[in-house]
Amino acid sequence: MISVKKVDNRPLNFLERIYLPEIVRGLLVTSRHFFVNLFNPKGMPTVQYPEQKLPLPHAAKERTRHRLKLRADGTPKCVACFMCQTACPAYCIRIEAAEYPDNPVEKSPAVFDIDLSRCVMCGMCVEACPEDAIAMDTLEIPGGALSRAQLKLTKEDLLMTLPGDPSDKGAANRLANEHMKSRGEA
Amino acid sequence: MMELLEANKDMLLFTGAAVLKIGVFLNAIMGFAGLLTLAERKVSALMQDRIGPNRASVFGFAFNGLFHPAADGIKMILKEDFVPGRADKLLFTLAPFFALVPVLALFAVIPFGDYVMVFGYQLDLVIAEIPLSLFLVLALSGIAIYGVFLGGWASRSNFALLGALRGAAQMVSYEVVLGLTLVGLLMIFGTASLQDLVRAQGRLLFGWLPAWGVVVQPFAFILFFVAAIAENKRTPFDLVEGESEIIGYFMEYSSMRFAAFMFSEFVEIILVSMLSATLFFGGWQVPYLYESGFILPGGAQFPLNHYLIAALQTGAFAAKTVAFSWLLLVIRWSLPRFRFDQLMGLCWKRLLPLALLNILLTGAVLLFLGKI
Amino acid sequence: MPKITIDGKTLEVAKGTTVLTAAQQLGVHIPRYCYHPKLSISGNCRMCLVEVEKAPKLMTACSTEAADGMVVHTATDKVKAARRDVLEFLLINHPLDCPICDQAGECGLQDYYMDYSRAKSRFAQADKVRREKRRVMGPHLVLDNERCILCTRCVRFCSEVTKTSELEVMERADHSFIDAKEGRALDNDYSLNIADICPVGAWTSRDFRFKQRVWFLKKTPGVCLGCATGCLTEIHHNEGVIYRIMPRPNADTNTWLCDPGRMAYKAAQAGDRLKKGVIKNGLIDLEPALREAASRIDEHHEAAAVLGSPWLSVEDNAALARFAKDGLKTKNYSFDFDPEQGIKDGILINKDPAPNAAGARKVKAAAGGLSFKELSAKVASGEIKVLVAEARAAGLLKEELKAGGARLIVFAMNRSEIPAGAYATLPYASYFETPGTFINFQGLERRTEPTAAAAEGVKPLWAVIGKLSAYSGGSLRLESAQDALKGI
Repeated sequence: MISVKKVDNRPLNFLERIYLPEIVRGLLVTSRHFFVNLFNPKGMPTVQYPEQKLPLPHAAKERTRHRLKLRADGTPKCVACFMCQTACPAYCIRIEAAEYPDNPVEKSPAVFDIDLSRCVMCGMCVEACPEDAIAMDTLEIPGGALSRAQLKLTKEDLLMTLPGDPSDKGAANRLANEHMKSRGEA
Repeated sequence: MMELLEANKDMLLFTGAAVLKIGVFLNAIMGFAGLLTLAERKVSALMQDRIGPNRASVFGFAFNGLFHPAADGIKMILKEDFVPGRADKLLFTLAPFFALVPVLALFAVIPFGDYVMVFGYQLDLVIAEIPLSLFLVLALSGIAIYGVFLGGWASRSNFALLGALRGAAQMVSYEVVLGLTLVGLLMIFGTASLQDLVRAQGRLLFGWLPAWGVVVQPFAFILFFVAAIAENKRTPFDLVEGESEIIGYFMEYSSMRFAAFMFSEFVEIILVSMLSATLFFGGWQVPYLYESGFILPGGAQFPLNHYLIAALQTGAFAAKTVAFSWLLLVIRWSLPRFRFDQLMGLCWKRLLPLALLNILLTGAVLLFLGKI
Repeated sequence: MPKITIDGKTLEVAKGTTVLTAAQQLGVHIPRYCYHPKLSISGNCRMCLVEVEKAPKLMTACSTEAADGMVVHTATDKVKAARRDVLEFLLINHPLDCPICDQAGECGLQDYYMDYSRAKSRFAQADKVRREKRRVMGPHLVLDNERCILCTRCVRFCSEVTKTSELEVMERADHSFIDAKEGRALDNDYSLNIADICPVGAWTSRDFRFKQRVWFLKKTPGVCLGCATGCLTEIHHNEGVIYRIMPRPNADTNTWLCDPGRMAYKAAQAGDRLKKGVIKNGLIDLEPALREAASRIDEHHEAAAVLGSPWLSVEDNAALARFAKDGLKTKNYSFDFDPEQGIKDGILINKDPAPNAAGARKVKAAAGGLSFKELSAKVASGEIKVLVAEARAAGLLKEELKAGGARLIVFAMNRSEIPAGAYATLPYASYFETPGTFINFQGLERRTEPTAAAAEGVKPLWAVIGKLSAYSGGSLRLESAQDALKGI
């Protein structure tokens, strides 16, 4: 449904039609901003970005650079199920799966690349992940880079732990958790 | 040798003084134009609640962006000087000169003070004191059209040509209005010399009101100011560049050739400001300040040193120029652009009849007062 | 002829038809796990329960024969509830393995859960029955007993199709699981079909395992070139890489596909695929290799021979024939291949390992030429100085070439194919990369479609022959496969 808003465009009166008083009114508005900001620069909302950062509001914290979570034994929680690659609307994720010889989880990512130059930071990969393995909570906002290669995150770049990790969520991780327990870890 | 010097003493002193005045005045203008490039961005930023450029720094000192004009200049010089393959090389090279030189030449006739006595010689504070300087102003500003049109024509680019066509049409049209608005002043003050015009504005009307151009010709001032902005091709009238659609007559220019066009725009801001101040706001006149000092309407006198008076007058002129420049910047960042038909309609259907009406009214009033 | 009404639509079916097949004829889909059209009916999964009027309880559609006047409902609340509950039973012990399970995306449990259940599990993960996961069974398969829903399709396949009976359901009730009989390995020639027919992820292919998710795969119809049977296949590929070959069931030749046939794509993607020409044993660029081969042919225009190949498509054999007839203008060419044909093992594999002997004969019928015996005698006697042939066909004349000492110029796809003593080898595009027509042992014409792009510079065989002909100064020009077929 397109919502329609009726606008009552009344005809201009004489003073408005000769334009000059309205121009002066406009100039007063802009020059008021000019003088207020000139004598009170602290009142401006501008943030000097790289040096000065605003604390990210609630939801924006979940839309920062990606990371791959780790299990307690240091292996990635990711099981290379390709859900994020499938969900990604920007086609920026590339995964190649490999097989563990001993771990009963069987599957792990051999390659996990995220091309930040294509990523639209939509968070669909996080939504899609059935293993709670990818998160966008590093609070790093990907910025400019001098070459495209610098914007490509490999598995090694992505694997990192934050305080509070590791969690044991995720269906297939049940197997990994038991495997760790059986080896006397965690 | 000494005799030769002695014989041509006046000549030498005149030449020396002229060179000195040109050096000081033009350098001041160039410096101011450079600062205007920064001011344009800073003023617009402050108007929009932004901070504006403040990153260029020398040894870590940024001075809130003061080095940006220098950084821009260095960048412009280092850029590739590109000439389109099919361009007319000669005209392409000449166009930036046509844009910048007439504008700079105009400053020769603008008085920036009355006179100072130096070692018993009277030094006029204007580079060239000529009787018909107002006409010279109109004539030279007409030449600036060549810069615009040759730039677009020689580039052999459709968009540049379109910009140039618009530019030529706009400048020729507003030239007419610009000239006609000044006729009223000529009729009232009876002189075409800018210095004499300024001196004439030192008189008082009714014993207390300075006879500034804006007081006797308020209507003409508004028309003049609008036409001058249009002549300057700045925002409400910047269809020549039309940044969002055709980029303008200097589209194919790069490096310092482009800088010449860009710089001429800022020099023109100063020119328009100075002309407005000179013609309508008393030029270097400070109200109630005469050669001997302040004489207030009540009769109270405050005698002042001659040099102090000269400094005050030059300072007043500078202050008026800065104020008008600021106003021009604020207008540029406040108003939206006209459509081209509106632009032409405004000129031919509104401003031109009004300017003619202004002349008629002025003539009628003068006739009524018995001044003719 | 019983008349049966299913969901209000009436149909007359042959006697003995089950309700499920009757419904299929009417376009009504009845969900099923254990039922497979080419296997015996087991009726153990209970997914196909339908309501039959006047029957006291729900009936399994797969095992109920259609009777005259039978009225069947497949979408009543009772049936829907039954399906939902059957799915809940099946899913009680099914592990949450979908992220690591290769079947995800073509899994019967996933599909029917979305279609018929969508109920939350009432069982805690910890209560699920645990079984052995990831057991390697035979050369091609991995078995995950946890995921198995005991539909016994695999057991029936081994006992009824391959008649090897390696598999059996061990134990009873909820201890049951699929396993190979003691001392048996699952190594029959059709074992990969088990991965296809398994409706869940219990059986997965070791070759395809973890290579690609099935929803990324694009499907192109193809023809198996493993033997003269010429089974129809479906090639699953993505971004120019072939991941697996599946059977394309059809009435004429095949429902299944043999394991060697499924692995045939490996050669086309092998690391030793030729991208350049080979002279003796050294790799050189294609153009100089062509020039060298052409000048060797030119030395003995009259004494040059061309041998067709039952491994090449009709078009490429025709190009060879035209090269001999119109290019070299020699009489020494043969497209005479008549090996013994017929199904070797009673299922699919043919006695003739070449896919297109019939196609070569078709070319012979149009272009004539020597019989194979005459040509091999000429080669053995040394009368032939240069032989142009496809690598595997040249292998048929190994002894004769040794005896006669003719220079051998071969076309090969892989380095390992090059016969010993070949003078020049020219690469050509495989039939995964270029279309081709093949005629199987029944005389059925089949066409392959390209799925991947050949490596740069590698051309279809008819184009290589066209270039060879141009370099050897002949007037023959081949611009397309249609050119090669002219006059054949």
